[in-house]
Amino acid sequence: MNFFELTTDPIDVTSVARRLVPPECGATVTLDGYARRFTKQKDGQTRKTEYLEYEAYEPMALKEMEKLIAAAKQQFEISWVGIVHRLGRLEIGETSVVISVASPHRRAAFAACEWLIRELKRTVPIWKKEVYADGEHWVEGEKES
Amino acid sequence: MNSLQVTKVNIQILFFGATADITGRRRIEIAIPSETTASEVSKILIAEYPSLATHKLHISLNEQYAAGQEIVRHGDELAIFTAVSGG
Repeated sequence: MNFFELTTDPIDVTSVARRLVPPECGATVTLDGYARRFTKQKDGQTRKTEYLEYEAYEPMALKEMEKLIAAAKQQFEISWVGIVHRLGRLEIGETSVVISVASPHRRAAFAACEWLIRELKRTVPIWKKEVYADGEHWVEGEKES
Repeated sequence: MNSLQVTKVNIQILFFGATADITGRRRIEIAIPSETTASEVSKILIAEYPSLATHKLHISLNEQYAAGQEIVRHGDELAIFTAVSGG
Protein backbone atom coordinates (compact mmCIF):
# COMPACT_ATOMS: atom_id res chain seq x y z
CA MET A 1 0.00 0.00 0.00
CA ASN A 2 1.11 3.54 -0.71
CA PHE A 3 0.79 6.03 2.11
CA PHE A 4 1.30 9.76 2.54
CA GLU A 5 0.81 11.51 5.85
CA LEU A 6 1.43 14.70 7.79
CA THR A 7 2.08 14.52 11.51
CA THR A 8 3.11 16.72 14.40
CA ASP A 9 4.47 13.68 16.26
CA PRO A 10 8.08 12.53 16.05
CA ILE A 11 8.60 10.14 13.14
CA ASP A 12 10.07 6.70 13.73
CA VAL A 13 12.01 6.14 10.53
CA THR A 14 12.40 2.40 10.83
CA SER A 15 8.73 1.78 11.40
CA VAL A 16 7.84 3.86 8.33
CA ALA A 17 10.25 1.82 6.22
CA ARG A 18 9.01 -1.49 7.62
CA ARG A 19 5.46 -0.69 6.53
CA LEU A 20 6.77 -1.35 3.01
CA VAL A 21 8.13 -4.88 2.77
CA PRO A 22 6.00 -6.47 0.07
CA PRO A 23 6.92 -10.04 -0.85
CA GLU A 24 7.49 -9.24 -4.53
CA CYS A 25 10.15 -6.71 -3.58
CA GLY A 26 13.76 -7.09 -2.62
CA ALA A 27 14.65 -3.63 -1.40
CA THR A 28 13.22 -0.60 0.29
CA VAL A 29 15.20 2.63 -0.04
CA THR A 30 14.48 5.18 2.68
CA LEU A 31 15.39 8.85 2.92
CA ASP A 32 15.61 10.27 6.44
CA GLY A 33 15.57 14.05 6.09
CA TYR A 34 16.23 15.87 9.35
CA ALA A 35 16.64 19.33 10.79
CA ARG A 36 20.07 20.77 10.08
CA ARG A 37 21.98 22.94 12.53
CA PHE A 38 24.15 24.91 10.11
CA THR A 39 22.88 26.43 6.87
CA LYS A 40 25.05 28.26 4.39
CA GLN A 41 23.37 31.46 3.21
CA LYS A 42 23.52 32.95 -0.27
CA ASP A 43 26.04 35.52 0.99
CA GLY A 44 28.41 32.71 2.01
CA GLN A 45 27.80 33.16 5.73
CA THR A 46 26.75 30.17 7.78
CA ARG A 47 23.80 30.58 10.12
CA LYS A 48 23.21 28.51 13.19
CA THR A 49 19.63 27.33 13.52
CA GLU A 50 18.15 26.79 16.98
CA TYR A 51 15.06 24.93 15.79
CA LEU A 52 12.70 24.68 12.83
CA GLU A 53 9.00 25.17 12.36
CA TYR A 54 7.11 23.61 9.49
CA GLU A 55 3.63 24.46 8.36
CA ALA A 56 1.54 23.11 5.53
CA TYR A 57 -1.54 23.80 3.51
CA GLU A 58 -2.60 20.41 4.68
CA PRO A 59 -5.32 19.25 2.28
CA MET A 60 -3.40 20.50 -0.74
CA ALA A 61 -0.13 19.02 0.56
CA LEU A 62 -1.77 15.61 0.82
CA LYS A 63 -3.13 15.91 -2.71
CA GLU A 64 0.29 16.90 -4.06
CA MET A 65 1.94 14.00 -2.23
CA GLU A 66 -0.57 11.61 -3.75
CA LYS A 67 0.13 13.02 -7.23
CA LEU A 68 3.87 12.60 -6.73
CA ILE A 69 3.47 8.97 -5.79
CA ALA A 70 1.32 8.32 -8.86
CA ALA A 71 3.86 10.08 -11.09
CA ALA A 72 6.76 8.14 -9.55
CA LYS A 73 5.00 4.84 -10.14
CA GLN A 74 4.56 5.79 -13.80
CA GLN A 75 8.22 6.61 -14.27
CA PHE A 76 10.04 4.02 -12.21
CA GLU A 77 9.83 0.25 -11.76
CA ILE A 78 8.69 0.51 -8.18
CA SER A 79 5.94 -1.15 -6.18
CA TRP A 80 5.03 1.09 -3.27
CA VAL A 81 5.87 4.47 -1.78
CA GLY A 82 5.36 5.84 1.71
CA ILE A 83 5.87 9.51 2.58
CA VAL A 84 5.54 11.01 6.06
CA HIS A 85 6.25 14.70 6.68
CA ARG A 86 6.46 16.27 10.10
CA LEU A 87 4.88 19.64 10.93
CA GLY A 88 5.23 22.02 13.85
CA ARG A 89 8.39 22.60 15.88
CA LEU A 90 11.39 20.36 15.23
CA GLU A 91 14.56 20.28 17.23
CA ILE A 92 17.91 19.91 15.46
CA GLY A 93 18.45 16.33 14.32
CA GLU A 94 14.79 15.39 14.41
CA THR A 95 13.37 13.78 11.30
CA SER A 96 11.33 16.14 9.13
CA VAL A 97 10.53 13.81 6.26
CA VAL A 98 10.72 10.13 5.45
CA ILE A 99 10.33 8.77 1.95
CA SER A 100 10.42 5.00 1.54
CA VAL A 101 10.30 3.29 -1.83
CA ALA A 102 9.96 -0.46 -2.28
CA SER A 103 10.89 -2.09 -5.56
CA PRO A 104 11.81 -5.51 -6.90
CA HIS A 105 15.34 -4.24 -7.53
CA ARG A 106 17.18 -1.49 -5.68
CA ARG A 107 18.24 0.70 -8.59
CA ALA A 108 14.74 1.91 -9.39
CA ALA A 109 14.05 2.55 -5.71
CA PHE A 110 17.14 4.78 -5.33
CA ALA A 111 16.24 6.74 -8.46
CA ALA A 112 12.59 7.13 -7.45
CA CYS A 113 13.46 8.22 -3.92
CA GLU A 114 15.79 10.94 -5.22
CA TRP A 115 13.14 12.10 -7.70
CA LEU A 116 10.45 12.13 -5.00
CA ILE A 117 12.38 14.29 -2.54
CA ARG A 118 13.37 16.72 -5.29
CA GLU A 119 9.76 17.09 -6.43
CA LEU A 120 8.39 17.23 -2.89
CA LYS A 121 10.67 20.18 -2.12
CA ARG A 122 9.48 21.90 -5.29
CA THR A 123 5.73 21.27 -5.26
CA VAL A 124 4.24 20.15 -1.94
CA PRO A 125 2.89 23.20 -0.06
CA ILE A 126 4.92 22.95 3.13
CA TRP A 127 7.08 25.79 4.46
CA LYS A 128 10.05 25.76 6.79
CA LYS A 129 10.99 28.51 9.19
CA GLU A 130 14.53 28.60 10.56
CA VAL A 131 14.70 30.12 14.01
CA TYR A 132 18.03 31.61 15.11
CA ALA A 133 19.16 33.04 18.43
CA ASP A 134 18.58 36.53 16.98
CA GLY A 135 15.73 36.14 14.52
CA GLU A 136 13.85 33.87 12.20
CA HIS A 137 13.39 33.33 8.49
CA TRP A 138 10.83 31.55 6.31
CA VAL A 139 12.86 29.62 3.78
CA GLU A 140 11.71 30.16 0.20
CA GLY A 141 12.25 27.34 -2.24
CA GLU A 142 13.18 27.27 -5.87
CA LYS A 143 9.88 26.54 -7.58
CA GLU A 144 9.62 27.91 -11.11
CA SER A 145 6.55 30.03 -11.63
CA MET B 1 -24.34 44.07 -25.57
CA ASN B 2 -25.60 46.40 -22.93
CA SER B 3 -24.74 46.99 -19.30
CA LEU B 4 -21.73 45.38 -17.74
CA GLN B 5 -23.25 44.13 -14.60
CA VAL B 6 -20.86 44.14 -11.66
CA THR B 7 -21.84 41.17 -9.61
CA LYS B 8 -19.70 40.46 -6.60
CA VAL B 9 -18.67 37.01 -5.50
CA ASN B 10 -17.23 36.03 -2.14
CA ILE B 11 -14.07 33.98 -1.93
CA GLN B 12 -11.80 32.69 0.81
CA ILE B 13 -8.12 33.66 0.82
CA LEU B 14 -5.55 31.62 2.72
CA PHE B 15 -2.05 32.73 3.71
CA PHE B 16 0.83 30.55 4.90
CA GLY B 17 4.33 31.10 6.26
CA ALA B 18 5.79 34.37 5.02
CA THR B 19 2.50 35.59 3.52
CA ALA B 20 0.68 34.92 6.82
CA ASP B 21 3.37 36.92 8.64
CA ILE B 22 3.05 39.84 6.20
CA THR B 23 -0.73 40.02 6.33
CA GLY B 24 -1.13 39.05 9.96
CA ARG B 25 -3.90 36.75 8.77
CA ARG B 26 -4.32 33.12 7.92
CA ARG B 27 -7.75 33.33 6.30
CA ILE B 28 -9.87 36.19 5.03
CA GLU B 29 -13.01 36.45 2.99
CA ILE B 30 -13.18 39.06 0.26
CA ALA B 31 -15.75 40.15 -2.30
CA ILE B 32 -14.51 40.49 -5.87
CA PRO B 33 -16.25 41.25 -9.16
CA SER B 34 -17.37 38.12 -10.98
CA GLU B 35 -15.07 36.99 -13.80
CA THR B 36 -11.98 38.04 -11.84
CA THR B 37 -8.97 35.83 -12.56
CA ALA B 38 -6.63 34.29 -10.00
CA SER B 39 -3.79 36.62 -10.94
CA GLU B 40 -6.12 39.63 -10.65
CA VAL B 41 -6.98 38.48 -7.13
CA SER B 42 -3.29 38.39 -6.30
CA LYS B 43 -2.96 41.98 -7.57
CA ILE B 44 -5.86 43.01 -5.32
CA LEU B 45 -4.09 41.38 -2.37
CA ILE B 46 -0.76 43.04 -3.21
CA ALA B 47 -2.54 46.41 -3.31
CA GLU B 48 -3.89 45.69 0.16
CA TYR B 49 -0.62 44.25 1.52
CA PRO B 50 2.20 45.82 -0.53
CA SER B 51 4.95 43.84 1.23
CA LEU B 52 3.69 40.74 -0.55
CA ALA B 53 5.27 42.17 -3.71
CA THR B 54 8.76 41.74 -2.24
CA HIS B 55 8.34 37.97 -2.58
CA LYS B 56 7.93 35.62 -5.49
CA LEU B 57 4.35 34.48 -5.05
CA HIS B 58 2.48 31.35 -6.05
CA ILE B 59 -1.26 30.87 -6.13
CA SER B 60 -3.49 27.88 -5.71
CA LEU B 61 -7.18 27.70 -6.48
CA ASN B 62 -9.23 25.08 -4.66
CA GLU B 63 -6.08 23.20 -3.61
CA GLN B 64 -4.52 23.08 -7.10
CA TYR B 65 -1.69 25.24 -8.40
CA ALA B 66 -3.13 28.02 -10.52
CA ALA B 67 -1.49 29.43 -13.64
CA GLY B 68 -3.26 32.77 -13.15
CA GLN B 69 -5.84 33.04 -15.89
CA GLU B 70 -8.43 30.87 -14.08
CA ILE B 71 -11.72 32.60 -13.27
CA VAL B 72 -12.35 32.62 -9.53
CA ARG B 73 -15.92 31.63 -8.65
CA HIS B 74 -18.14 32.26 -5.67
CA GLY B 75 -17.08 30.12 -2.72
CA ASP B 76 -13.64 29.32 -4.16
CA GLU B 77 -10.61 29.04 -1.93
CA LEU B 78 -7.50 30.80 -3.17
CA ALA B 79 -4.16 30.55 -1.37
CA ILE B 80 -1.20 32.83 -1.92
CA PHE B 81 2.24 31.77 -0.73
CA THR B 82 5.97 31.90 -1.32
CA ALA B 83 7.91 29.07 -2.98
CA VAL B 84 7.50 25.94 -0.90
CA SER B 85 10.36 24.74 1.32
CA GLY B 86 9.40 21.39 2.80
CA GLY B 87 11.65 18.37 3.04
